[in-house]
Amino acid sequence: MRPVAVTGLGVVSPFGAGVKAFWEGISGGVCAVRPVTLIDTEGFRCRIAAEVPDGIGGSARRSRADRLALAAAREALDDAGVARAERAEAALIVGAVGGGMLEAEAWYWQRARGVPAPLPAALASSFPSSHADVVGSVLGLGGPRETVVTACSSGAASLALAADLVADGVVPLALAGGVDALTRICFMGFNTLKLLDPTPCRPFDRDRRGMSIGEGAAFVVLEDAERARARGARVYAELAGYGMTSDAFHVTSPHPEGEGMARAMRAALRQAGVAAASVGYANAHGTATPQNDRIEARALREVFGEGRLLVSSTKSMIGHTMAAAGTLEAVATVLALVNEVIPPTARLETPDPEIPFDCVPRVAREAAVEFAISNSFGFGGQNVTLLFGRAA
Amino acid sequence: MTGHRVVITGAGVVDGHATGVVSRLLDESEARRLSRVCRMTVAAGRLALTEAGLDTDRGLALLVGTEFGDMVSTIAFVDGFLQRGTPGLSALLFPHTVMNTMAATTAIAVSARDLSLTLNAPTVAGELAIARAAAAVRAGRVGACLAGGADEPPPLVVATLREAGAGAEVRGEGAGFVVLESLDAARARGARILGEIVGVAWRALAARPHGIGRSPRSRAIAAALDEAGASSAEIGCVYTSASGDDRREVWEGALIDSALAPHRPARRSLSLPAGRHSGVAARAVATAASEAGERLALVHAVARGGSQVAIVVAGPSRVAGSRTRKGLASAEALRA
Repeated sequence: MRPVAVTGLGVVSPFGAGVKAFWEGISGGVCAVRPVTLIDTEGFRCRIAAEVPDGIGGSARRSRADRLALAAAREALDDAGVARAERAEAALIVGAVGGGMLEAEAWYWQRARGVPAPLPAALASSFPSSHADVVGSVLGLGGPRETVVTACSSGAASLALAADLVADGVVPLALAGGVDALTRICFMGFNTLKLLDPTPCRPFDRDRRGMSIGEGAAFVVLEDAERARARGARVYAELAGYGMTSDAFHVTSPHPEGEGMARAMRAALRQAGVAAASVGYANAHGTATPQNDRIEARALREVFGEGRLLVSSTKSMIGHTMAAAGTLEAVATVLALVNEVIPPTARLETPDPEIPFDCVPRVAREAAVEFAISNSFGFGGQNVTLLFGRAA
Repeated sequence: MTGHRVVITGAGVVDGHATGVVSRLLDESEARRLSRVCRMTVAAGRLALTEAGLDTDRGLALLVGTEFGDMVSTIAFVDGFLQRGTPGLSALLFPHTVMNTMAATTAIAVSARDLSLTLNAPTVAGELAIARAAAAVRAGRVGACLAGGADEPPPLVVATLREAGAGAEVRGEGAGFVVLESLDAARARGARILGEIVGVAWRALAARPHGIGRSPRSRAIAAALDEAGASSAEIGCVYTSASGDDRREVWEGALIDSALAPHRPARRSLSLPAGRHSGVAARAVATAASEAGERLALVHAVARGGSQVAIVVAGPSRVAGSRTRKGLASAEALRA
């Protein structure tokens, strides 16, 4: 198997467009969760989310999610310096959940209320696979194209699947990432499950009350490491291994002992040939629900032991961006390795005594680590761990 | 071809018109709790695993292709709100609004604890899932995999897509899976070999979203044949994805012609008349293996927007020393 290098990054986040804005936001411990403006939240207990600010650009005929994806994908390809001709063989793997549902919902709402509602152009793009077709078509990506849906771990799964194609020599490079725009279904659903905190979320805090929703997109360019070095590409990090497992336990709740999570982390270590003691940082799934944070901590302790590992949650600043989360957090993990700075867990005031780790409260920490993991877990017990190593 | 040889050891298909027998494949709780598409998915998975005689305690991966997910439950979730406001929202329905719900419920039902993936694509999702699964088995990433697809397309969504210019497919409902594992593992446990997947490839052809490509140049077929170490002359039959979208069918015909020229093997589509759903891919792969004889069969699919999948299948007689069987385990067969 060929080693896989990360050579390009692209982000659209609640801090705006661009990797630079994203890193400044998360390394500064800034919380981007605000009152929702995109949809009507009247009657809901939680009425806040981390929305992407105005100015994404792109054709109004495209769905919001397609525009988020295009902007992030373009930045990643440009960052990697991938020429148009090289894209013909490049794979494209997109993690998605909501698709263009924001626009489809608006149409359906009007129609259901008896208001004449002509079909919007974006309606044909309401399924998750739309993003891959739009990004692939516009950017000329002709290799294998896939849309993976593993709920909240979709963005991380996209990197794992892309890494397989590069490692097996099917393609020389791949563009992989996740995207989700805010949707009414997602907002209503998590409100109904009573999993949302009416105030910005506080992962790992003793008094945490649930998650905050966010939106965004992120893509990375994964490339045969030897090829990347030969062409003089900047190598941010190596995607050294991953683990993907299924709890096969419950459609919404994780296994109470974090068994599937721990298996995913161990599988990533095994594939990378890296000892648990060599991993210095875990970008946690860290949703801030009382149950999930506790179970993730249990799984981390099972694999890495208590205490030593630095753990933080990017969701404390940009909310849970659903299918985008796994890639945004992978980018955060890569940048932590590159910049030797661990982004903090914002709003963490009173650490939960049941979480036996230094969760980097409120302020970023300087730390040079050799290996770091990014955890993503989704409905249906879909666990993905990505393991990154510093560029050689 | 490098890596493990990938063999088919089980297959099961449940078509929407045959769901009367599904209840026999589910326990009482599943029959009560699960949505219709999830019930079909679990049932088809069980059919395939039963035929394979596989002990899932040794590990099982699951790949589900779908075009629509559980859109019926999604619409019901939204309608609850539109009719009754927040009290009308169902916490039980919400998880079904995420497309991986069929994979999640099936993973629980059959104890698939290795990777579990849902792949979403218009009209080629089942073929894509089987191709991806075959690649994972070949690379040794998973030992055994249940791969296929499921769909229950709501009439409103189908009509809306058609009006929005996203094709005129004749769509059906159902679920189907094949069980794939390495030849070594299958032989070690004395499994009956139904066929072999000798080459897979999936590529994106130049086309606008929902559009038909202008070029007849196939990319996936040549790559799949290359992996199989086979020539186009060895293909005895092609199972296409034709399902009533005339423009897409013409394009698919041109792609196959250009890739296999000068040969013109017989072509069949298993999508009509009942309609195409993501489970049809499993039927095509199992049928191709069953009917390939001494030659190879090509299972091919192309979607509007350009996703192309090619799967080269060999019959059991080409897998030396295999025990063989005839026919495909299906809900119809079970009923008979």
